[in-house]
Amino acid sequence: MGGFFSSIFSSLFGTREMRILILGLDGAGKTTILYRLQVGEVVTTIPTIGFNVETVTYKNLKFQVWDLGGQTSIRPYWRCYYSNTDAVIYVVDSCDRDRIGISKSELVAMLEEEELRKAILVVFANKQDMEQAMTPSEMANALGLPALKDRKWQIFKTSATKGTGLDEAMEWLVETLKSRQ
Amino acid sequence: MYTLLSGLYKYMFQKDEYCILILGLDNAGKTTFLEQSKTRFNKNYKGMSLSKITTTVGLNIGTVDVGKARLMFWDLGGQEELQSLWDKYYAECHGVIYVIDSTDEERLSESKEAFEKVVSSEALDGVPILVLANKQDVETVAFLKVQVNKQSKLDGTRWWKCSSESHLPCQTCLSIPDIKTAFSDCTCKIGRRDCLTQACSALTGKGVREGIEWMVKCVVRNVHRPPRQRDIT
Repeated sequence: MGGFFSSIFSSLFGTREMRILILGLDGAGKTTILYRLQVGEVVTTIPTIGFNVETVTYKNLKFQVWDLGGQTSIRPYWRCYYSNTDAVIYVVDSCDRDRIGISKSELVAMLEEEELRKAILVVFANKQDMEQAMTPSEMANALGLPALKDRKWQIFKTSATKGTGLDEAMEWLVETLKSRQ
Repeated sequence: MYTLLSGLYKYMFQKDEYCILILGLDNAGKTTFLEQSKTRFNKNYKGMSLSKITTTVGLNIGTVDVGKARLMFWDLGGQEELQSLWDKYYAECHGVIYVIDSTDEERLSESKEAFEKVVSSEALDGVPILVLANKQDVETVAFLKVQVNKQSKLDGTRWWKCSSESHLPCQTCLSIPDIKTAFSDCTCKIGRRDCLTQACSALTGKGVREGIEWMVKCVVRNVHRPPRQRDIT
């Protein structure tokens, strides 16, 4: 009986936990972003082998955020986590011009997946605190984003270590996910 | 038999899909216009609250069904740096909606330059263009302010002498003729395509329906760009 009422209550007033994936090449700053969002601090990270998952609450919306390791050898396992994903945060190192091509091909391959057809794409142009960081339009062209015609996407300039840009990005994500429900 | 039935089904339910680009400088109100038209044309659509809309650095999409046509909107970021992405969409679009902030007289020439680039692009040859003079609701705000002051006259405050409108620190917007004059250089570049300048307020929804209905009429009529056909899923 209690379970029945609580399920009615949660269907009326509760919100479903949003499932968000943080993806990107190794060394882009995915783990730093995850913990910046969760505890608001810069933590010392080591390369992720496997995944980190945390629940982040932002403006009454609960996010289940998965940060998957980005090394070449473990990228094929990303697809195991695609189902029921509401949004993908794709983190790119704005200074790493050499590997932007690889980043693009990983992104393109990812977006072709049927399970991610409805997911919103948010690109974090990370490490904007460094000099020679790519601008959003450079980034969009390098990642081939103008070719995406059926998907909502947005780029944010972020710096995980300085903490800039993350709040606006999360705010945007909250509003977008809310209106989609 | 199957072909006949499927053909009939397609005839009844298939919609012609047209892609419409929404362009204009940043802060012109492109995303607000998109959200407003989605709420106006789609029943049960619970849009974003219009006050929460922030700068777009990317692409927003939206679909609106008008009769047998389905419009697919691409709303792009308008910051100067992002304008370089606009032309990537030209080849595939069927119509352009160009949004102008009518309250921003200072940036009107900048807007005109951006518009000139859009209309002179060869990839957009023959594509209908709807120019929206947005934020026309601002005038009513000014009018309200006057009324408030008239009210305070009754209270016997010193607003009594402040009868002329010029004393009021209120913002007014440019009218359609003002904008047409400012954009007159571009007229020759518009050429033979359909073009309409429409007053609108994305915030209140005034002029939104008229603009979209005009756009539908034009893209359907335009034989040079046939619609994308796709089954309804």
